[in-house]
Amino acid sequence: MSQDVKLKVLGIEKSFPGVKALDQIEFSVRKGTVHVLCGENGAGKSTLMKIINGIYQPDAGQIIIDGVEVKIKNPIQARQLGIGMIFQELNYIPEMTIEESLFVGNWPLDKAGKVDWKEIRKRTLALLKAENLNYRPDMKLKDLTVSDIQMLEILKAISYNSDIIIMDEPTSAITNKEVEVLFSKIFELKARGAAIIYISHKMDEIFRIADDITVFRDGKVIDSKPKAELDIESVIALMVGRKLGNDFPKVEVPIGAPILKVEALNSSKFKDINFEIKKGEIVGFAGLMGAGRTEVMRSVFGLDPYRSGKIIKDGKEIKIKNVKDSIDHKIVMLSEDRRRYGILPVRSVRENISITNLKRFIKKGKLHAKEEFETVKYYCDKMKVKTPTYETNISSLSGGNQQKVLLAKWLITDPEVFIVDEPTRGIDVGAKYEIYKLISDLVSEGKSVIMVSSELPELIGMCDRIYVMAKGEIMGVLDKPEFTQENIMRLATGTTSNN
Amino acid sequence: MRKVLALLLVFVLALGMLAGCSSNTSTSTTEAATTAAAGGESTDKVFRVAYIARAQADSFAAWLANAVMEEADKYDNITVDVFDGQANDDIENGLIENAITNKYDAIIVQPNNGEAQRPYVEKAVAAGIVTITTNARISGIEGASSVDADPYLQAKVNADAAVEQIPQNAKVVVLLGPPGNFHADARRDSWQKEFFDKRPDVTIVGEEIANWNKDEAMNYMETWVQANDQIDAIIAMNDNMAAGALEVIKDNAKFSNILAYGVDGTAEACLLIQEGKLTSTSLQSAYALAEGLLDTSNKLLTGQETQIDIDIDCPLITKDNVAEYIEMHKKAGAIQ
Amino acid sequence: MNSLLQKIKKSNLMATFSIYFVLLFLFLISMMANENFATIGNLSNISRQIAVGTILAFGQTILIISGMLDLSSGSVLALAGVLSVDAYLKTGSLIVSFLVGIIVAVICNILNGLMVTKFKTPPFIATLAMMAMARGAALLYTNGQNIYQIGDYVIFGQGSWFGVPNPVWFLVITMTVTWYLLKHTVFGRSVYAIGGNEEAANASGINVDRVKMKAYIINGIFVGLAGIIFMSRVNGGLPNGANGYEFKALTAAVIGGTSFSGGVGTASGTLAGAFIVGFLDNIMVLVGVNSYLQQIVRGAIIALAVIYDIYFKTTRKKNKAAKG
Repeated sequence: MSQDVKLKVLGIEKSFPGVKALDQIEFSVRKGTVHVLCGENGAGKSTLMKIINGIYQPDAGQIIIDGVEVKIKNPIQARQLGIGMIFQELNYIPEMTIEESLFVGNWPLDKAGKVDWKEIRKRTLALLKAENLNYRPDMKLKDLTVSDIQMLEILKAISYNSDIIIMDEPTSAITNKEVEVLFSKIFELKARGAAIIYISHKMDEIFRIADDITVFRDGKVIDSKPKAELDIESVIALMVGRKLGNDFPKVEVPIGAPILKVEALNSSKFKDINFEIKKGEIVGFAGLMGAGRTEVMRSVFGLDPYRSGKIIKDGKEIKIKNVKDSIDHKIVMLSEDRRRYGILPVRSVRENISITNLKRFIKKGKLHAKEEFETVKYYCDKMKVKTPTYETNISSLSGGNQQKVLLAKWLITDPEVFIVDEPTRGIDVGAKYEIYKLISDLVSEGKSVIMVSSELPELIGMCDRIYVMAKGEIMGVLDKPEFTQENIMRLATGTTSNN
Repeated sequence: MRKVLALLLVFVLALGMLAGCSSNTSTSTTEAATTAAAGGESTDKVFRVAYIARAQADSFAAWLANAVMEEADKYDNITVDVFDGQANDDIENGLIENAITNKYDAIIVQPNNGEAQRPYVEKAVAAGIVTITTNARISGIEGASSVDADPYLQAKVNADAAVEQIPQNAKVVVLLGPPGNFHADARRDSWQKEFFDKRPDVTIVGEEIANWNKDEAMNYMETWVQANDQIDAIIAMNDNMAAGALEVIKDNAKFSNILAYGVDGTAEACLLIQEGKLTSTSLQSAYALAEGLLDTSNKLLTGQETQIDIDIDCPLITKDNVAEYIEMHKKAGAIQ
Repeated sequence: MNSLLQKIKKSNLMATFSIYFVLLFLFLISMMANENFATIGNLSNISRQIAVGTILAFGQTILIISGMLDLSSGSVLALAGVLSVDAYLKTGSLIVSFLVGIIVAVICNILNGLMVTKFKTPPFIATLAMMAMARGAALLYTNGQNIYQIGDYVIFGQGSWFGVPNPVWFLVITMTVTWYLLKHTVFGRSVYAIGGNEEAANASGINVDRVKMKAYIINGIFVGLAGIIFMSRVNGGLPNGANGYEFKALTAAVIGGTSFSGGVGTASGTLAGAFIVGFLDNIMVLVGVNSYLQQIVRGAIIALAVIYDIYFKTTRKKNKAAKG
């Protein structure tokens, strides 16, 4: 501990009515190091970060920066104290341009006190060039991919010259290549002497970049140690408070007849897509961001139109013009973008679940409240959704619980083919495991699952076959014996050596 | 879908054509008038008059505009174009400017708000155009003429009758027009000086702004009826509001002897007088105003006179003489 | 006492029903301020007076919940109303005139719906256009003149049934229909879903355009009904009537807790909102508050009611968002 402590928190407490969110929190970050915080969702990490960023005020305790106690009343003050934060959930304004978003709230002014757009353009161009991002500064955010927006957020936080940088799951929406860029940034920042607080669930990442690791559970610090004194197993054990057995609860089930077949599907976003899935099978779709996996699935699900090609279900060609058609044909899809295509933010858990199949509860032209309640209860229990009541607003649940609610909403339609797009993005280890378990249960019941994921270990651990896409085309399909990260990446990057 | 669209298009076009036709009958478009005037100039001088109405959506203003058009038919040497100020000072001022630019021989302005139109009316006078203000006049403009009904007098004829009719220690309710409106304010002022100042024994148990509207007047009257066992008279600044208040108590025996006063002499008010519900109103006759306007225009345009300021009569309408006014409204088609 | 207050504040009771407490409070204050306020006659008056605006407000509530609105309702009310009155004078049939009123308003709202769903016009613009067109059409049809002597047509707005005024019956019916639709039907659920998150609703298999169209059609039925009651109540066909009623309706809905960001609102809340405005207008006239002062008080109370409502709702939300 020769290096100076940059930021220290002491005895921080925060209660929300009915819940003690943080209890006597104590930890410190040294200059030029990365301090990783891990813990299941709801453990209190995000609350602590919001306190450090001035969004919440603690009930008790101290925040000390460079040995001086500070009171952080709002995010602007936090920024003045050199604290930069990258949020887990992307909060962006789709109509904003890149340059506007980079400098929002921090506009450089010219001599007359007007916003100096020339200077903004100049600095944006320099930043984009330095980061090898091939975009024009006046492009709107809505035209960018999620991962590029995430990269911009990271650039923004760094561009304030902050010396305390908080990163809340920064890699949940970016590709492996971009993760490397981020990590090299982090190493630069470390060299510059910045103190970095890094929240993540991804063990391989944690162990690559951490100097120190602090584990949270139920609003308390369970342990805080240098990385050298910990390993993956022990961190997971500390997080969940128990030893996890198998990472992937894959169950071998008999594979049946083909249930869904897609032939020569074309649209402006992908071309000549052929694949099939059998009963009881989990088929993976791997690829880099922008490979067209989500786009193919959106067309199969009726969210986007396709130009030509056939979709064949149970040997018969079906036409899917909208989502209702696909639900009628028992094909459903869990979207990768939970906020945009998933939750109904101001509505209850109950309504979020029953929305996909309201017909099921109609009796004499009226929604049958009791039957609805019981169905919702059944699936919430099955999914182990943690919610105070079924009337609770879905927005107040953690990410993992929201995801379980969304799975439940599709289960009530009794699907045969379940497309899950990035099902474990941004959720904690415990909830991830439960979702894998559910996917296994689904195929055990004879359903079929298409799993689109950017996390290779989960594809390898869960799937029976994996299609790999790049640039809107299927580059190849791998059977179980061929499942390695190298094989998948070779196809995904288009560097095919054979066939 | 395409069929629906096609149908919709046809519907909209048909509606547009209908609208076009019917507006041609009541007001000729500017272009048509311009060509007509240009054609007529070589033979006999035809004067072009712009009539700028306060708002075609205002029922009295619309009546007046229609009356002006009808009256204009009687003059071979005058054509009138009607413009709609849409109860908006900006629009009305713009219309006056346009009329100056388009070199009308005369401009008649029915102001939305006298003071707002004053500088534009002055501009018209300065441009050497015959300028007349009406309902209400903008007074004190050198070179501009006016034809109006005096709002003070309109209320006064009713107030004079009321001084005799309303019993000792009576309780009355008062319904006001929009504050700031020249007629609304002048009528209330007249009631004050000609009635309330002379009858200190009378108490006002309710006074509210009902904006000339029947439905707003109804709401206030309903509440007053709850709060007061005794209301002897309704004093309304126009007939619409008086009719609204009477609507509330029409089947209420407790108020069967109530007195009620309005202003305007609308068809509805005449019928109410005939039924014995409304006590009196005074006529602000759009026909009389229109007659005065065209006569004044003619005299000014042909150079017989250079400035005229006249007020039309405002006869009191009571049960005794209502028949003749009902006859007038029947002729106009307002009563079947 | 203090701890009781805290308990109430913490419980959802206050948050869910905060607007009804405002209403109750206003009622009690008014009752103390004037002995004529809490009489059957006066309360029946208030119900009659707010009926037209509130029926419009129910249509607005459904539209606002699904993220839309209707600025044309006052104008369409006038158009439907004068055509209905005229139909009565021409045919002498109450049923025909009733149907004409409803159908005219529904047609206008189908046009609103088409603009919004097929041509993707923002509802604000689409209904703003309809507001001007409908008002113009009403004035054109009547040549700007009021229609008088409407005879038995007044039964819709002035008659009563079992001692309850007809407008109040219509109010109760539309309230029940709105409540039932929102609470107990697939349509209602879809309305909340679309307002909550339109893209997610679409991705959940809801035919968004069809639901929006239905919302406008239902709004049209309410507007037509309001037009019939209005004209009948004022005993005339007023082409310039109900000017600005769309804002009365929006005000009632918003005071009643309907959120302009969509996805939130109830029929009973809107009714409470309408009664808050109705009580306020009534008590100020009863007490004899200066007319200009009335406008200030009305504005202030509306602001306070909404601030109070939002205050309770947000404290609840913060409580629940505890575990970050």
